[in-house]
Amino acid sequence: MRSLWGGWLDLLKREETGEALALWRICMGLVLIFALLLPLRAGAISVIWLPIEHGGYLKLEHSSWMMELLGGPTPGRVYGALVIGLVAAVALVVGIWSRIAAFIGLQAFLALAWINPHTGGSYDVLISNALWLLVLAKSDATWSLQARLREGRWSSAALVSSWPRYLVILQLVIMYTSTGWQKISVYWVPGGDFSALYYIMQQPTWQRGDLSWVAHVYPLTQLITAVVWFWETLGAPLLIGFYWARYRGERAGRLGRWLLKVRFRAVFVLIGLPMHLVIALCMEVGPFSWASMAYYAALLHPDELKRLWVWLRPRDPALSPMDG
Amino acid sequence: MTTRPRWEHIRGVLILLHILAVLLMALPAPEGAQRREAWNDPTVTAEFEAWSERLNHVGYETTPDDLKTDLFTLAQDFTEVRKTVLSPARPYARYLGTQQSWRMFVAPHRFPTRLHVELKQAEGEWETVSIYQDPDYSWKADLFEQDRFRSALFRYGWKSYSGARKLFNQWLAREAAVDFPDATHIRTRWYKVQTPTPEMVLAGEEFEGKFVLGQTLSLAPYRESP
Repeated sequence: MRSLWGGWLDLLKREETGEALALWRICMGLVLIFALLLPLRAGAISVIWLPIEHGGYLKLEHSSWMMELLGGPTPGRVYGALVIGLVAAVALVVGIWSRIAAFIGLQAFLALAWINPHTGGSYDVLISNALWLLVLAKSDATWSLQARLREGRWSSAALVSSWPRYLVILQLVIMYTSTGWQKISVYWVPGGDFSALYYIMQQPTWQRGDLSWVAHVYPLTQLITAVVWFWETLGAPLLIGFYWARYRGERAGRLGRWLLKVRFRAVFVLIGLPMHLVIALCMEVGPFSWASMAYYAALLHPDELKRLWVWLRPRDPALSPMDG
Repeated sequence: MTTRPRWEHIRGVLILLHILAVLLMALPAPEGAQRREAWNDPTVTAEFEAWSERLNHVGYETTPDDLKTDLFTLAQDFTEVRKTVLSPARPYARYLGTQQSWRMFVAPHRFPTRLHVELKQAEGEWETVSIYQDPDYSWKADLFEQDRFRSALFRYGWKSYSGARKLFNQWLAREAAVDFPDATHIRTRWYKVQTPTPEMVLAGEEFEGKFVLGQTLSLAPYRESP
């Protein structure tokens, strides 16, 4: 037991350069801006988040805890929270006082998103989880205004704790596994006709436009339904197995060695990213896809991210912002 | 053996507690468990029919109604247990946003609804002003098609959201009273139709739907006291 605890503490002591966390911070800042501006652009703020006397439609007795504490949503409080959230999101993107910005952004976002429980989206949870992890992480060590002020350059080789990035990966795994294990509809599970994706894409609620053409590629949707179901229910836990095998190195078990051999993480990403892109293209689900994909930034170790950058920009690596 | 600083142990415990809280929050939450009425929707009924057929195949004798009753009880009990188990972690989730109730597309809605809004002039016929996602009838379309509002409209097409739906209809009446000065009444209703199978789409066929959850309101009170 003592060695297990010691191993856990050793894992938490690990450090790395901050590029992966910085990329994740920038992406989440942009997602927060997107999430706050979308209802504003559609003129939906007063209707969904203000009480009836201010143009809303719902009695908002069970508001978010922050709004309750302030005395309930009013135009001043709602638009105030929106502005504060936007300022915090910009601070995250440029990387200045990121932990404070993440905490303020989180509270502003929670205050707004939970006012009306009927207008919530899955991305609310994705964003609030990410913002709390950004409070815990030192995400502005590099690619940040903070680095520029501290060291005179935007990038830095300063080391940060690795464990916040591990928590981001774990959050991603829990998120997929949780939703996968709840997909017990006959249209999803093996033994049925794997028609879930076809019927989901016909549901008018989320469609960007007419998707009846999907009927022409129905067998393909069946294949993708099966892949997505297995990917969510089994693939996400196996991703943890991949990282565990990498941590164990030579001592990894048979399954672990196989996961390393087939580069399971790459398989996971090659299914996940296209899936979210297709959702973003075909369905109007707000910043859901972008929020999900932002988490993928944490899947790479900063050294891998640097190698990827060099691979993507081989001609002039001297211009790489990874050189910090 | 080297002695570790105390803060390393504290950090280790706190991060474990965070992981535990997030894992507990990820326990499935049967959202519809408290709304028995929603279990009578044809989409849900079709699921029970298919599952009872499957269970009968593997030797477990049941009927869709029995399965529904058993699972409703189980869902109620599970919800209670979940509530108890989660209670220590709830403040952490509530104040710091660590909820994990991600239920994205857990089942297709085979009998979806589409909002229709109609207005009546004095002595006139009903005139359609809005059909969800129909560009020819686009009153309030920008709002209805905003993703947060889509979420609300999805819910209000279910019978079990009658209270919120009535408030939504009253809001529509207030808006219509301003936007359409000559209109006397507003009618909202939801066209509920089974999604056609791929074969039907290819053959150019579709199911016949019906209007449900209709409500008609006079606009006069909303003009007198907006």
